[in-house]
Amino acid sequence: MSKIFSDVDKYESESPSSVVAAINTAMQSVVRERFEASGQSWKDFVFGDSLESITEEDFRAVEKTLIDAGHRYDWSAAISPQERPDAYKPATGTTEDDLDTFCFEDPEAPTGETDSDGLELRGVGDNVVSYSEDTVGVARYVRSTTRVLNWLTEGVPENTIAVIDDSGGTLTAPILERFKGVICAGGTVRSHLGILTREYGIPCLMNSKVNGIMEGDTVRMESTARAKNTEDYQAGREVTANIWRVHSP
Amino acid sequence: MKPDYAQLLETNQLLQTNGDQTYWLCVTRTVQESKLFPVPAYMLLSYLNAFYRYPGVLRKIETCMTAEELGDRARNMGSKAHATSMWGLPCFYLLGREWQINMGLIRPEDAAEDLIYIVDFWKRFQLSWRRNSGHITASDGGHRTQILPERQIQVFHADLYDCEPGEPLHEAAQAFAASAAQYAFLVACESRISMHQHGPYHLGENREMLVRDFVDLAECDLPWLDGVAENVPYTNLTMPMATEGVHFNIIDDWGSFAAEPEFKGEHITGVGLYTSDPLSNGYEPVGMGSREELTRTYKDLDERLKDAMARLWKRVAGWTRDQMLDAGAITYYAIIKDLAHIAGCYDPEDWIKIDRRAERFRPLLNDEYSRDMLGDICVGSSPSHQMYEYLMMRHSNLPQRIYSPVPYSILVDDDYAPSVGDVQPGVTYLNEKLDRYRTTRGTFGIEEYNRRVRDSQPKTHEDRFRFLCEPSIKYRYDGAAADELYKLHQENSRNLRGRGAGLRRSDIEALRG
Repeated sequence: MSKIFSDVDKYESESPSSVVAAINTAMQSVVRERFEASGQSWKDFVFGDSLESITEEDFRAVEKTLIDAGHRYDWSAAISPQERPDAYKPATGTTEDDLDTFCFEDPEAPTGETDSDGLELRGVGDNVVSYSEDTVGVARYVRSTTRVLNWLTEGVPENTIAVIDDSGGTLTAPILERFKGVICAGGTVRSHLGILTREYGIPCLMNSKVNGIMEGDTVRMESTARAKNTEDYQAGREVTANIWRVHSP
Repeated sequence: MKPDYAQLLETNQLLQTNGDQTYWLCVTRTVQESKLFPVPAYMLLSYLNAFYRYPGVLRKIETCMTAEELGDRARNMGSKAHATSMWGLPCFYLLGREWQINMGLIRPEDAAEDLIYIVDFWKRFQLSWRRNSGHITASDGGHRTQILPERQIQVFHADLYDCEPGEPLHEAAQAFAASAAQYAFLVACESRISMHQHGPYHLGENREMLVRDFVDLAECDLPWLDGVAENVPYTNLTMPMATEGVHFNIIDDWGSFAAEPEFKGEHITGVGLYTSDPLSNGYEPVGMGSREELTRTYKDLDERLKDAMARLWKRVAGWTRDQMLDAGAITYYAIIKDLAHIAGCYDPEDWIKIDRRAERFRPLLNDEYSRDMLGDICVGSSPSHQMYEYLMMRHSNLPQRIYSPVPYSILVDDDYAPSVGDVQPGVTYLNEKLDRYRTTRGTFGIEEYNRRVRDSQPKTHEDRFRFLCEPSIKYRYDGAAADELYKLHQENSRNLRGRGAGLRRSDIEALRG
């Protein structure tokens, strides 16, 4: 079999992602095979025969190899597991029924016992903007277009603190303005959701590590904490605001 | 044309500049994901489209207008030819290249002549667009993007309406900015490409001005805005915003800002509103006749944008994954499309289709692979990034380079494929774009729009004005040409019309009363 340029690499390494490493290796095999079959020099092959001989079907076959081996892909966009449920991990926490039992369970979230004020620590997040008061409201998960569409039609329930794992600004675009607060399990204060909540003046914690907050829990965000800035991220400094579950006295 | 040593040296330096810039931008964020759009997947598809199409479309644009001239034109309008676009121009192309290197599909020396051309175009545009600060990137300038000439800053400064928290204008302006930002994210499929900030511009005494651009808001190039944005009256809006008690210490190459202390709405002390495009005479005021008119205009636009946002959101929520992929990939790839508009040679076939060579990769683009691959190529984790262990990369100190340099060995062995060739036919899963483009001069079909652009360049772009730069003005502000140029910029100004070139910042402040 012919060699291709990447078969020799003095500083050889692999992608930290096993999925990427596997797909790159599989694609290199396809390239090797088609290059040999072409009988051409590389410089003639690369933007010549290769464009016809390496096809969409090759890419499809490579991607399918991992599924056939039992791997199920992580999903980020809800549409992905919806269209290919066989290729992705189950999309839990995205239907109204799921939400009775679903919660984020970040093992790194600091938790604590309920204190004398009825506050039970359930996590921390990076504060986008420091406000003069903490924010108290009802935790409600927003993880699907169905819920957004329902709330767009029927209105967002009063006092909603949206618990989201999407640091983007589009899923909640038509209803974001109506949230009392946002707890986002991803991103940084400079992510799109951070930018938008700042514009709207909505208290928001990004990069939140939370555990055990259930749909309907009353929660308190420490929106009075110092806001995390770019220098903090660059220096790897932990600057966090607390997230408590509130118990009635 | 076969490169020489000097060209390759410069190419690799420019490539490194953009690589360092990209690394910093990426590590101060996380990989962007969305529950709505398959973001990393569409980004990767866009990079391939850029790799296969940018060389062809940029060469076509330069048959109409050079990169330097485009930079001069773009400096005088708020369009999608801004800092983010110009970071993306080399970056998207180079990430498409790097990804393919890691799959063994191309070598670092393949398409060398395309690469040399791409980064040279980038350099010439950037040097021109940023000529007033003299930097090639925001990063190079300490995270600042001070683009505008004095004459335009003076108009923005002079015509700002003062406002305080709690006042109707302040509230209306803030509400508009929030809606515009949110709509811009949705229009741009979760990316920040439809909004951009530049500055800061020093207004004196603890005050700064940030200029905010919101672009592609109306029915324009993006097929998904047909119909839903029919009531949005402006494609591009620019909002100069004066602040007090806050310093914008970062305006980065994504047009994003950070401030010290943290920026809040209460820091806003003055606002304005303008529109512009390749057919306008620079920035034209919108609702700036009086404080009351501006308040009404902000409120009206806020409502229109919210209506368009809800309609667009419903449209997107009904899309297939392939449609989402296409829309996102087109948004990213076409980040530089306004260059074609400015040159008067925009062809939708060039900009809103996926080249068939890039389309082949679509089945690979599941969410997990795309997320991990994107993370790899943006922050130096791919095999192609790894270099000798003694090397310490800027920002990370790791032995890596974000983009593989072009090997100098091609100068002796000539063993490289020079180019991917011309743009090839493309495909799309989206509805065909309606031939309807809203401009500052009306709504036209694309042929008419291009013809009008080619037939009418603004007076300020004539050579006698174009090269009347800030250093020239310093010593010739009392000459007739300088006076005429300033008056052209002041034509639509409420407070500066006819004032000419002699005013300084304190004079502007005094004029504002």
